[in-house]
Amino acid sequence: MSINRQPYLDNIMNRFKANVTVAKGSLENEIYISTNTDNLEDICTYIHKTFQAPLSSIVCNDERSLNKNFTIYYVFSLPDKDLFFIVYVPISEQSPNFPSITPYIPAAHWYEREIKDMFGLEPVGHPDPYTLVLHGNMPENTYPLRKDFDTNTRLPHLESKLPFARVNGEGVFEIPVGPIHAGIIEPGHFRFSAVGDTILYLDAKLFFTHKGTEKLFEAMPYTKALFLAERICGVCAASHATGYCQAIEKVAGIEIPPRAKFIRTIILELERLYNHIGDVGNVCVGASFLMCGSHGFRIREYIQQLNETICGNRYLRGMITIGGVRFDINNDLKKHILGLLNRVKTDFKELIEIMSKSSSFLDRVETTGRLSLEHARGLGVVGVPARASGICRDTRINHPYAAYGEVDFDIPVYYDEGDVWARIKIRIDEVYQSISIIEQCFDKMPEGSLKTSMKELPPYKQALSYVESPRGEDIYWIMTAPNNMLYRYKVRSPSFCNWPSIPYTIPGNIVPDFPLINKSFELCYSCTDL
Amino acid sequence: MTAKIILPILQILVIVGFSPLVKGFINKIEARLQCRRGASIFQPYYNLVKLLRKDAVVSETSSWIFRATPYVTFISILIISLLVPVLSSQVPLNFTGDIILIIYLFALARFFLVLTSLDTGSAFGGMGGSREMMVSSMAEPAMILSIFTVALTVNSTNLSNITNLLLNNSVLLLNPSLFLAFLAFAIVLIAEAGRIPVDNPFTHLELTMIHEGMMLEFSGRYLALVEWASSMKLLLLLTILVNIFFPWGIAGGLTFSGLIIAFALYVVKIGFFAFLIVIVEMSFAKLRLFRIPNLLGTAFILSVLAIISLYVVR
Repeated sequence: MSINRQPYLDNIMNRFKANVTVAKGSLENEIYISTNTDNLEDICTYIHKTFQAPLSSIVCNDERSLNKNFTIYYVFSLPDKDLFFIVYVPISEQSPNFPSITPYIPAAHWYEREIKDMFGLEPVGHPDPYTLVLHGNMPENTYPLRKDFDTNTRLPHLESKLPFARVNGEGVFEIPVGPIHAGIIEPGHFRFSAVGDTILYLDAKLFFTHKGTEKLFEAMPYTKALFLAERICGVCAASHATGYCQAIEKVAGIEIPPRAKFIRTIILELERLYNHIGDVGNVCVGASFLMCGSHGFRIREYIQQLNETICGNRYLRGMITIGGVRFDINNDLKKHILGLLNRVKTDFKELIEIMSKSSSFLDRVETTGRLSLEHARGLGVVGVPARASGICRDTRINHPYAAYGEVDFDIPVYYDEGDVWARIKIRIDEVYQSISIIEQCFDKMPEGSLKTSMKELPPYKQALSYVESPRGEDIYWIMTAPNNMLYRYKVRSPSFCNWPSIPYTIPGNIVPDFPLINKSFELCYSCTDL
Repeated sequence: MTAKIILPILQILVIVGFSPLVKGFINKIEARLQCRRGASIFQPYYNLVKLLRKDAVVSETSSWIFRATPYVTFISILIISLLVPVLSSQVPLNFTGDIILIIYLFALARFFLVLTSLDTGSAFGGMGGSREMMVSSMAEPAMILSIFTVALTVNSTNLSNITNLLLNNSVLLLNPSLFLAFLAFAIVLIAEAGRIPVDNPFTHLELTMIHEGMMLEFSGRYLALVEWASSMKLLLLLTILVNIFFPWGIAGGLTFSGLIIAFALYVVKIGFFAFLIVIVEMSFAKLRLFRIPNLLGTAFILSVLAIISLYVVR
């Protein structure tokens, strides 16, 4: 189902005339728009406003060895059609700055700060141009994602300089939390300014475990990089693997067998299932509703054990591979899966019945941590929190991949709510939907091979890949290098988009409700601290 | 003479010795209700032994209060355990104090814990301390009034006398005002012992803690002492509850057979109420912090009604 790109091309050409060069990308749902820094703001805001296209990603790429420039790619995705606009602009090394689009498109604020830290390009006009990833404890002029930065460089350890915004006034005190927490979670530092137990302001600092993942990709042959992609995050392994494989397949121009598409869909939905059910349990634990919490974990355990029977790994690692999938799902296994899903459905229904009838639990989750539609839109929130705040967006429907175009489902959206309970309800609805998608997949799954063999990887080709992980939309951008290596692999995880929205949901809530709100967003540190 | 020696030993044995078991029992039943296997009911003992063997780490910024608190807390609770009738309606320190002293000793222990929570300067400690004070400022009046209802019924504030009189005049227990007082005391018990829906003793989320927040800075033997004191507090509150409102079976004198029967019934009664705590904890989510006053307000109103109805019924 390809869409006609010509009207969009004409529209932009007519509006900007000689200032831009518009080209259809090699993939059928991409439009590449080349421009210069002077017209960047105009064209970005034009696409954002006219087509109502949210910003999906900003990718910076050090292409100095190719064309003596850095290139920044701005990815916009159409909300109602399967089409991406990719605006790219060269930045010369001599004047390492670019106009910030954050004042017009607030969703760009973290990307631009990240580019400043990793590439040393200055976003001119950014309202909050502080360090994001590196915490100011790197030596001057160290930009890890530039090509001339060696992966094995040992950096001196410097004191980090983190500016915290604070509230002054009588009775206002600061509560520093983290970066080390009591639970088994990754590091993040939160600073609350509170009066009594009521929070006025929250400043969050993340990126304490920067692992240089994107840099590591650049030194890897594409076959090996799959294993790194799969390990970006523990609980989105299948999504990240699928995203990576799709990117490679698009660049290489291969099509995976239909049976593999369906199996991928099943695997991705199983991942969503165990995540969502576990998250529902987790929110209960956050509200100290212990009984429902453990039942959530019990049901999740069924699915994780099922995962292990399917592919030998509780987190679905090793199932998805370049060109298809590694293992088949035969008839016996199919029966086992469908039987277990039935059991999960009944048990989960029972759990939800108890939860939604407990007035003490509802009192905790209703109206807590509201994310307004305006904030969600502005900050480019994706996934479950976006749908709970009234944004009807799901990559599975907006930009179908794998076999999602062939199954029937709809997006649960809750309007005018955006609280913790709405986010739980979205997950509950999606659990039933995932089960139905898996059942449909089994009905429609054709026989056939599991894997297409790979050809050589063409050098310097770009592609965009996208997956709706349990947390939201993952956007991957790939550029290949000669000798089957990768030139750049940019991962834009849903958590990267959703973290900045947390501080906007907090003010007015009380300190003991923060863990609950945070859990309802279910944000991943590992996907963010790449 | 032997009674004067045996009784205190017996009381201390029961309260100090069995209090971790009550916690272990509650944890075990809760685990079973959550479809978990759960730790052994003796786990609290293993924890105490482990902690007592460990070194205590004390913050450099803390003062003597930090080191004194575990002992002050433990000893005040220990004294209470000699003021409360446990197996026999006779009480070892009968001559020294009544329920007013008991309430003040609980307050003393809490006061020192709150001071310590501020002493180390940790953000969570101060937060836990201020919340503990908020909760107790509302729980204490309700507790005092509900016990006073009982005291007014029998015209004595001495727990030993109260138990004795109620035991010999069981009809008094049918007084509806005592029922109201019992409800008020039960709510206060949950708040004072830091159980769900007021506080979650199992949580690792520092921002939500009340009682645990104050204990975050303790380690080693200090932690063992405050942990032990808090489980003793739970058992003592349960003991007061069962022995005031359900005194049947408690030994009037100090005969061997009487004590054996009393002990058996005591175990049953405590087990029953511990089980009720489990049921409450499993059926509720924790209250929003600012809803706790509503719950404790209910307890307070119940206890006020209890006192008023006492005069109305009379």
